[in-house]
Amino acid sequence: MINVLFFGPVAERTGSRQISLDFREGLRWQDVRDTLRARHPEAFEIVSVVAVDGRRVGEQDTAPLADGAEIVFMSTFSGG
Amino acid sequence: MNDAVRLQLEDFSLDVEVAALRAHSKRIGGIATFLGCARDFSEEIEVREIAFEAYHDMAHAELSALRDEAIARFGLIDARIVHRLGTVRAGENIVLIVVGAEHRAEAFDACRWLIDELKARAPIWKKEITPQGESWVTPHP
Repeated sequence: MINVLFFGPVAERTGSRQISLDFREGLRWQDVRDTLRARHPEAFEIVSVVAVDGRRVGEQDTAPLADGAEIVFMSTFSGG
Repeated sequence: MNDAVRLQLEDFSLDVEVAALRAHSKRIGGIATFLGCARDFSEEIEVREIAFEAYHDMAHAELSALRDEAIARFGLIDARIVHRLGTVRAGENIVLIVVGAEHRAEAFDACRWLIDELKARAPIWKKEITPQGESWVTPHP
């Protein structure tokens, strides 16, 4: 399984804090984004940071995900 | 002694954190602090409370990395970062940064750098709760 987490304003727009997706070999974080963006376009309008297993990733990171990976789609931070 | 980097629901004490820093070394010649507080007014609207949430594991890792970077970059003797989560009422504490250096210049510089980097890099979000409703905050530059 792939575990997807949402926080703050993104969670408000998806209406959930966690989604599990089936794992398949070769799956990349961009594939997960494309799947979820189709379901929740209003939430992904504000996504600006993505982390896989606690580390930031960018478009250039195309390594396949491991089974059990945790992906977080986040909006701009506002702590402090 | 509490950890030097913490995300916590409860309030913190400036005195306790400064004392912890001072206990670390007698080589400290200057301590600078940044204390972020919850304002009761924002964008011309009354704010009663601010609710914070974080991607906790990543936020803690980022704050720990920031502390390490600040110590190396500014030659600090020690640094402590505490950020509250959950609901903070207007007038209460949000975040505390305490840094100790041999001289004041690096202490001031490190404190400013740390709060700016924290805002940019720590996955924490805040929602203002007002009499008119609730809204997530869009960061200021």
